[in-house]
Amino acid sequence: MSVSELKERHVAAIETVNSLREQLKQKRRLLLDTDIAGYAREQGRNPVSFGPTDLVCCRILQGHTGKVYSLDWTPEKNKIVSASQDGRLIVWNALTSQKTHAIKLPCAWVMTCAFSPAGQSVACGGLDSVCSIFNLNSPTDKDGNLTVSRMLSGHKGYVSSCQYVPDEDTHLITSSGDKTCVLWDITTGLRTSVFGGEFQSGHTADVLSVSISRSNSRMFVSGSCDSTARLWDTRVASRAVRTFHGHEGDVNTVKFFPDGNRFGTGSDDGTCRLFDVRTGHQLQVFYQQHGDDEIPHVTSIAFSISGRLLFVGYSNGDCYVWDTLLAEVVLNLGSMHNSSHEARISCLGLSADGSALCTGSWDTNLKIWAFGGHRKII
Amino acid sequence: MESDRSDSSGPITQRAHSLGASAGSATDTRGKHRIQAELKRIEQEARFLEEELEQLDKLEKASAACKEMLSNVESTPDPLLPITTGPMNPLWDRWFEGPRESKGCCRCCWIF
Repeated sequence: MSVSELKERHVAAIETVNSLREQLKQKRRLLLDTDIAGYAREQGRNPVSFGPTDLVCCRILQGHTGKVYSLDWTPEKNKIVSASQDGRLIVWNALTSQKTHAIKLPCAWVMTCAFSPAGQSVACGGLDSVCSIFNLNSPTDKDGNLTVSRMLSGHKGYVSSCQYVPDEDTHLITSSGDKTCVLWDITTGLRTSVFGGEFQSGHTADVLSVSISRSNSRMFVSGSCDSTARLWDTRVASRAVRTFHGHEGDVNTVKFFPDGNRFGTGSDDGTCRLFDVRTGHQLQVFYQQHGDDEIPHVTSIAFSISGRLLFVGYSNGDCYVWDTLLAEVVLNLGSMHNSSHEARISCLGLSADGSALCTGSWDTNLKIWAFGGHRKII
Repeated sequence: MESDRSDSSGPITQRAHSLGASAGSATDTRGKHRIQAELKRIEQEARFLEEELEQLDKLEKASAACKEMLSNVESTPDPLLPITTGPMNPLWDRWFEGPRESKGCCRCCWIF
């Protein structure tokens, strides 16, 4: 076939794809008989109501000397690992505010960090395109630094996000600026599977975030600069299970909903969205005007343990607490007098038992928030 | 109800323009292979989209997912909510307990 014939076929194929996408969109619209907020209101639900001293900042973790970019809690105890522009990972006991480890990184340009399920190792990645593993129980070198115990090399772009597979200390998943996600075997340092990339159907731009389902650890979701989120089955690397359209900008962050059947996304378009895993439906859009200024980007999201609350960090320093069921903002941690961070919140995470939220900020601090009011058990 | 604005097919049309722009350049096999690979990818995507369209006929409406979600949310105890289902876990309040040698502080002492 000649080049010009190929080009004609290419143009025709694009028209087919665009037409199919439009048909899908129309058909899906007909199935959206309600969103979460509409359904919850119809069922008589009222928004969560917080008193002024209910959600309080009860710890400030100070020690980084640069912007905090990422944080992760241990699944079991009260430990947090954080990564900063200062080129260090710090491991904290969040309850006592003490630092248990300060790890100087070989490459200072770190973007993400994660705690292993058993809490014995931490992983990090960034502009060096490598995911580095540190064993917290290893002896330090003569300068008092922990050395890298394993380097996961293979990405052809920056490592934007990493997460250990739940209950598996030996496997983790990374997302990258090279448009792929990778499942790694840490024991061997080798790639078990590559999701997307040059010869496979996948994201068409940098992948910025990844989230693995707790209820089915073979499923994970990725968010990308191509404005989509994609659902993957780790047994099938050749194509995504489903692609979720809707956002109109980079999808910076994705997080599975606690029940494992939905996931949330946050984007440069200023909205968060909730998608249903099994049907692909977009169940809710979370958007509220922040003022007359330009729309701030969503940098990070986290769900409370029931999913009733959605914590969202924005590029303008706001940290909205959304009632997920009613799609209403019920609190702004970014405007709490004397408590709020002084700059953008770049990362958020809930403790394993859901009793505390940790926020990390460009102001170099991490803060722990918990419920300090009167609790009614029904 | 879904309120998203029209889905942009930006990436597809941009790639088409860039490929079209090179039409005037000298014939080169590398360019032909590139177009073939891209064509294969797009035809594969069309097949995936057709499969998805067929599956939509058997799909439940959004209200079913909403109902399940509401039920799951309300049946899970949540320490950060002022009103939540039980059981409560005393460890939820460990963030407000003082050092063991002192008496337990009230929560307001921990507010920063």
